[in-house]
Amino acid sequence: MNNGIFSPFSKATCEAFKLLLDLDVSTSAPETLEEIVDADNKVNIIIGITGDLSGEILYRFPKETTLEMVKIMCGMEMNEIDDFVTSAMGEIANIISGNAITGLSEQKIVCDILPPRVIVGGGAPLAGVALPVLSTTIKTQVGNVELDIQVHANK
Amino acid sequence: MIWKEKYKIGVPLIDEQHEELFRRVTEFVETLRSAGEWSHKVAKVNETLNFMKDYVVTHFHDEEAYQQEIEYPGMAEHRRIHNDMVQYVVNIAEQYEREGYKEELMQQFAGKLLAWLINHVAATDQKIAEYVKSREEVSHE
Repeated sequence: MNNGIFSPFSKATCEAFKLLLDLDVSTSAPETLEEIVDADNKVNIIIGITGDLSGEILYRFPKETTLEMVKIMCGMEMNEIDDFVTSAMGEIANIISGNAITGLSEQKIVCDILPPRVIVGGGAPLAGVALPVLSTTIKTQVGNVELDIQVHANK
Repeated sequence: MIWKEKYKIGVPLIDEQHEELFRRVTEFVETLRSAGEWSHKVAKVNETLNFMKDYVVTHFHDEEAYQQEIEYPGMAEHRRIHNDMVQYVVNIAEQYEREGYKEELMQQFAGKLLAWLINHVAATDQKIAEYVKSREEVSHE
């Protein structure tokens, strides 16, 4: 996968965290992961991609980071990963991915996204994500979020 | 939800409505998230839901009228985003009633609405302000 496909997702994630959550962000250099570890302790959000590209985008939020991010949005303490929290974070992943495919369209790559699938912890659904993935860590003051991308071109 | 000065687009009517929208969504979320049995708070949740829903429609209408007035070039796309959200709210409200006012659906709805509204006001609506500013700069040249 070339950097031209990866960078719109990384950029859109950073911009959303800054704009919507007022977080300072930095990213690590992208690396290829042959396996996804520590998914059990995370809120994992998968967004499917269709069109000129096929594949999946995976956002992995530590549970504490997830609660902090929703707290920032609604101004209320969040104590558990419940339907309200997973739905809010699913929408954040949806917004990021939508902005990223708008970025891709500037390279004449036309894609659509599927509704977010939120998986709290690892397990069988996450095992369905094709490997390897290209991954970066988005570092914030409320924790590090992993962004993994596994897509291939259809043309 | 916390209203921030940076969300203002510089049009008093729209800014006041955005702030009121934040207040109404906050009231809805606070009621929904308050302690206690669902059966005891469902009536209050429904009341704040309707209070908030009505205002969403009013605000979208007024904002679109403003966009028309200033001949905002992104109006068609912006209207589509509004219409999609209104349709989503209508669908959820119908499902909520049909399924007998279940808490799970309302929690999911409120979470999505929270993130959607912040993004819409903090990002999508800011493009209106950018357009107004660019128009003013052109008129001063």
